[in-house]
Amino acid sequence: MNKNGMRDPKKKKGGFAVYMKRYWQLYVLLLLPLLYLLIFKYIPMIYMQIAFKKYSIVQSVWEMPLAANHGFEYFIKAFQNRDFINALRNTLVLNLLDLIFGFPAPIIFALILNELVFRRFKRVVQTIAYMPHFLSWIIIYGLALQLFAPTTGLVNMVLGKLGIEAIPFLNEPGHWVATYVSLGVWQNFGWNSIIYLAAIAGINSELYEAASVDGAGRFKKMWHITLPGIRPTIVVLLIMNLGNILGSGFDRPFALQNNLVKNVAEVIATFVYKNGIKGLQFSLTTAVGFFQSVICLFFLLLANWISRKLGERGIW
Amino acid sequence: MRSKVSKKALAVLLAASMTLPMAISASAEGEELTDGKFAETKHITVEVYDRGNDGGSDPTNNKYTKYIQDKMMELHNVEVEFVAVPRWTEVEQINNLLAAGDAPDICVTYDYPTIQTYANMGGVLDLASFVDDYKDQLPNLWDWLGETNLYWDKDPSTGTLWAIEAKLATSNRINTFVRKDWLDALGLAEPTTKQEFEDMLIAFRDNAETLLGDDADKMIPYSVSYDVGWRAATLIESFIDPDISDREYYVNGFDDRKFTEPGTKEGVRLLNKWYNDGLMWKDFALYGSGDTTEDDMMKAGYVGAFTHNWDYPYRNGEDSILSNLKRMVGEDATYVVVDPFEDSKGTHTKFVSGPIDRKIFFPSTNDEPLASMLYLDFISAPETIEYLQIGDEGVTHNVLDDGAVEVIAATGDDIQNSGFNIDYTITCNGLKLTDPEVTLKSTAHSYAGIDPALVEEADKVANTDMRVGKNVNVGAISAEEGMGPALSEKRDVAYDNAVIAAPEEFDAVWDSNMEDYLSSGGQAIADERAEKWVATFGDVDTLPE
Repeated sequence: MNKNGMRDPKKKKGGFAVYMKRYWQLYVLLLLPLLYLLIFKYIPMIYMQIAFKKYSIVQSVWEMPLAANHGFEYFIKAFQNRDFINALRNTLVLNLLDLIFGFPAPIIFALILNELVFRRFKRVVQTIAYMPHFLSWIIIYGLALQLFAPTTGLVNMVLGKLGIEAIPFLNEPGHWVATYVSLGVWQNFGWNSIIYLAAIAGINSELYEAASVDGAGRFKKMWHITLPGIRPTIVVLLIMNLGNILGSGFDRPFALQNNLVKNVAEVIATFVYKNGIKGLQFSLTTAVGFFQSVICLFFLLLANWISRKLGERGIW
Repeated sequence: MRSKVSKKALAVLLAASMTLPMAISASAEGEELTDGKFAETKHITVEVYDRGNDGGSDPTNNKYTKYIQDKMMELHNVEVEFVAVPRWTEVEQINNLLAAGDAPDICVTYDYPTIQTYANMGGVLDLASFVDDYKDQLPNLWDWLGETNLYWDKDPSTGTLWAIEAKLATSNRINTFVRKDWLDALGLAEPTTKQEFEDMLIAFRDNAETLLGDDADKMIPYSVSYDVGWRAATLIESFIDPDISDREYYVNGFDDRKFTEPGTKEGVRLLNKWYNDGLMWKDFALYGSGDTTEDDMMKAGYVGAFTHNWDYPYRNGEDSILSNLKRMVGEDATYVVVDPFEDSKGTHTKFVSGPIDRKIFFPSTNDEPLASMLYLDFISAPETIEYLQIGDEGVTHNVLDDGAVEVIAATGDDIQNSGFNIDYTITCNGLKLTDPEVTLKSTAHSYAGIDPALVEEADKVANTDMRVGKNVNVGAISAEEGMGPALSEKRDVAYDNAVIAAPEEFDAVWDSNMEDYLSSGGQAIADERAEKWVATFGDVDTLPE
């Protein structure tokens, strides 16, 4: 505050030094998050080497011997492992379904919410829709069991009383996938709609007034004003989602899976947990994780490239 | 605790993690004991299971840990610190601790392959020299475990010893329990054959209204969990040839749930039939390890029969399944032991492992091997085991007229978080008092609030036609390394899916899962076992007793 630079903001002489002198506090503030990234995201990358090395608990990562086949032994092993291929397939399928059903849901919800006239009602609906976002997947699985278990679940008990056969929400692969996707949508559509609502709020209201004068109805306005207005937001989020097509949270599939649906529920994250953490095959699972990250990066770049070709801004 | 880690400490930690600690060569020389005491106070950490039970005490800080700590200080000048590891995820937890270099000096696990894997990486101390060199300082350990358990895991070719096997005081494994009051209500006798058992389950199912009234739809004639191989073990084992050779049993024996033993498939086929006839709990596969839903249903009185640990419904004093059942349903309600699964010879063979229990090992980060060995010696002393198991007279046990010890359900600080404090007596599983005769008399009285006659019967049945496993020690099987968790999960998936399959699809489901299991490493293990058997014992089928 007592810096000279503050007094004379128009002066552009001195370049970097003056700039730093003026704004150094902001960079100090940035230091902590950077440190976080460095410590928790970059330093651990040193250990990515073990994908190419024979892991040993007592040696430093630099001392471990190179794995067979020029270090690619574990990548070869992974692709010969049918559990991994299966997990790869499941990860793709589940994430694709998530994208198809989970991506439009918050957009639709935001559009609907935007049309509500009563402010208070809108607020209440919004808050209720956010709520599931704050539940952990372990709790959601607990709820799902209470509701959807074949004989002890509330829904099936009610169906039973009505003389309808129990629906195997959790114990039949096809139904399980539907349950998995629905629970994902349910947990996240409210929360994810926030960003769209913010984007909608930023649309110039004169556009709507002009459209009204021209005789446009609700749906016309939605289609020609609101949606184009939030298109950049949609594209950015779509790119981010595509970048994650092979990534997956661990807790959701882990909490929701059970032995009866394992062949459709095992994803890369749970495969890595089982074989790496539990089975101590650290090199193998690091190789898997490495592969996963490379593919994710590829998709991210690809989606970004396409969107720029299509005339959108992309994320860079 | 380390709730606040300063940045400086963090930096040091990071630096340390980058230059991973070298293997510590623990030399046995140069440590002087005077009257069993160190001149300088030593500090060791010891793993203890945390069972997270309701109303339990802190497993690392309670009356019993204080007893151990005081005694160790007094006898050996060793300061003991306990490290809690959740019982139901012990393998994962101990893996994490080992990988991070934070494992306690004395580690305990039921999972030998984990130890073997870390040993191969140089992460475990070779105990062979300690056990032998310190023999004079370890009289109690040697007395209690003897060569059998101490050398159980000694590699026949290299002589390395990665773990010491705790001793099972009783080999009792699994029993089947049925609701005696239901049998009485329906005028049925206790089943003695598979057919009678099945008829009984059908009678339970068809008379649900009579037995449970409004709760009839909650009736579960026979209950298992996701872990079918354990929870239907006696049934499955009755389909295995009781005269199976040691060799065949061993070669197919990597899976302790008998998944690959010949005969298992037919046992599961019977379960599949029961499942499809509505005799079993439909939701069993959805609840994971440690979930109490099934126990709660037993306590509430919905479960007609189940198979479990030989004394399962009688364990845990006031919170035992039987005590809860009586409180909720009435004094008449009771679970009794039956032995209905006859094998091809008409006997009721129960395959049990050798007299081994948990495996104790020292990670290579242990730099106090002598102090740690002294701890094992202390914890194996007859007086220590007795005190930890039965506590103080009048508080946790009474002495009856015939000298037998009767356990009282304790509360507050006296509470035992595990039956007989098994989690502290790491070298001993099962009641073992200083006087063997009293032990015998007391076993039945050791279940607070439970009729001793029930326990005696359970003990008798568990011992009927018991076939104790021999120590087949052919050295490490490299094909097993790292495969345990993945194969165990495949086994559970196979069991669960086979049980719920439609009857006409049973063969297809079982065969495809078995094929998957074998090609994912199961076959390689069996092959290597067969090969090493021949290399070690020659072309014989039976091992000497």
